[in-house]
Amino acid sequence: MTTQIDIDFLPAEGAVVRLIGLVERRGYELDAMSYAPASTTHRLTMTVRPRPGPRRIETLKAQIARMYGVTSVSERMDSPRLEAAS
Amino acid sequence: MTPASPPKLDTRPDTRSGAQLVIDALEHQGVSHVFGYPGGAIMPVYDALTASSLKHILVRHEQAAALAADAWARVTGRPGVCLATSGPGATNLVTGLANAFMDCVPMVAITGQVATPLMGTDAFQEIDTFGITLPVVKHSWLVRDAADIPDIFAEAFRFASSGRPGPVLIDLPKNVTQANGISPRSLACRTAARAVFPLDAKALAAADRLIASARRPVLYFGGGIALGGAEDALRTFFQRSRIPAVATLKGLGALPTDWPGFLGMLGMHGTRAANMAVHDSDLLICVGARFDDRATGRLDTFAANARVIHIDGDAAEISKLRHADVALAGDVAAILSALSGQTGGIDGWRRTCEENAGRWAFRYDAPGSGVYAPALLKQISEAAGDKFIATCDVGQHQMWVAQHCRFSRPQAHLTSAGLGTMGYGLPAGIGAALAEPDATVVTISGDGSIMMNIQELATLRRYRIPLKIVLIDNAQLGMVRQWQELFYEENFSEVDLWDNPDFAELARAFGIEAFTLDRRADVPGAVERLLSTRGPVLCHVRIDPRENVWPLVPPGKANSDMMEA
Repeated sequence: MTTQIDIDFLPAEGAVVRLIGLVERRGYELDAMSYAPASTTHRLTMTVRPRPGPRRIETLKAQIARMYGVTSVSERMDSPRLEAAS
Repeated sequence: MTPASPPKLDTRPDTRSGAQLVIDALEHQGVSHVFGYPGGAIMPVYDALTASSLKHILVRHEQAAALAADAWARVTGRPGVCLATSGPGATNLVTGLANAFMDCVPMVAITGQVATPLMGTDAFQEIDTFGITLPVVKHSWLVRDAADIPDIFAEAFRFASSGRPGPVLIDLPKNVTQANGISPRSLACRTAARAVFPLDAKALAAADRLIASARRPVLYFGGGIALGGAEDALRTFFQRSRIPAVATLKGLGALPTDWPGFLGMLGMHGTRAANMAVHDSDLLICVGARFDDRATGRLDTFAANARVIHIDGDAAEISKLRHADVALAGDVAAILSALSGQTGGIDGWRRTCEENAGRWAFRYDAPGSGVYAPALLKQISEAAGDKFIATCDVGQHQMWVAQHCRFSRPQAHLTSAGLGTMGYGLPAGIGAALAEPDATVVTISGDGSIMMNIQELATLRRYRIPLKIVLIDNAQLGMVRQWQELFYEENFSEVDLWDNPDFAELARAFGIEAFTLDRRADVPGAVERLLSTRGPVLCHVRIDPRENVWPLVPPGKANSDMMEA
């Protein structure tokens, strides 16, 4: 099962690599990706598929949300938008 | 976030170099100690360091700088700082960064880098430090303009400590630190502030209801207690509710280990009383713990009949591995204080747990006349009292420390829990002793582990750090040997360390007092000598190489399937 997540973040050196790396290290395959620069925050949209194991998309979203410079993480469809705490 | 006091602006004329801005930023953050090792790309910073108020501790390997900074941070609660040059200096830091990352230790690592025009050219001592460290830091900055240094350092210290703490890295190209006449882009340094989370009243009420209706509740806590500064709240809740409690390896010390109702560590080498209480529980109140595999054993059998209340400072941990019936993310201390702790009819359960703890208590009457390491460690911790801080390495001795030592605060037990870094103990002892000079800091190591950072005996000698080292020597890689004995049909492969040096002689060669202990009858005198020696001292303890750590949950088994001696 794939899930599409939108990540809004402040652009900085290495930010995209950091985000992709986290998603892959936390046990998800990356099926598709798009990147949209905007004036203040940029948006990375990823379609991800969990590898075998106890993986919840909510956990992944929370792990992304706590990253430096991430302003919001949301799942496409009807899932709630998760505002970053930092 | 709570508002921070505005920083005092530095009005000096802008004649400072990038390196001077680095030193100023560290001083501005109140840093007292920096653990490091100089080299080519970081030389401008070392040049500026000499005129600063910072106390630099010259270690003999960069890994030790990171591990000492880690322990310093665990004891003080403030970010530890380590400093290294580019290339191998930076790569040598990586294990220490990973250690801090896994155990949520706030740390600021600063590395030199080749000048920006040389980056990407395979220059001498050039390595992509930023890229190599991405998976093991909370965040990292590659500074391309010296004007950004004050802001980046302020952010680095704030972010290392905020939320779930962890290490951050600042990579400093040499031309950035060499740049002169810098006008900092911003002096709006933000000091660390603790996030304020609103309490979830609905979830709190649901938790209160579960606690009130449970008949066999267990409080299962971990390192998140100390990270959240929640020791007092935990102790109050424990006393108020009278719910039996178990700790993870990192949770040890949050409740004094000798309090009735505290059943000890759970998990692979946990106590039978702790594991059986969790196994039989109908409610698990997990506080600042993460259902780590070393604690749970086979996850689907872990407290299989229990509902779960999960309290954590990090929302990402809730329901990561085990579904939480009630989730409470936020300020752990505030949440514990807000819970009523009102239980209903658990006196019999508590009595059963305490009786089990007595029935299955560790015994110290091992046969023979050789030194029995568990008894020795227990005796040292009791003799050292509330000022005791143990820094461990990894292996059998690490588990014996967790099982048998007395701890009265979380800072008393510094161990590499997540990464399991052999070589942690000695540099961690250095960091801890500098962080709390009036503590009795004891490094407990093994003959395998200590050789991973043995060079730090030179650091001990140089600064006359009064660290007590207890080196448990079985001339084996004991934990690996134990597993080969039990699970690999005694096919002992590369675990025999028969050719170890004479460790007492070795310590003396570094200028450190040392003695050897190999008879049980000599233990009282040895403990007395160890604790009364004013400077650094090493006690080399020879033990029976056949000793194993018991009990043990075999891999892939439930915690209720413990093996005994």
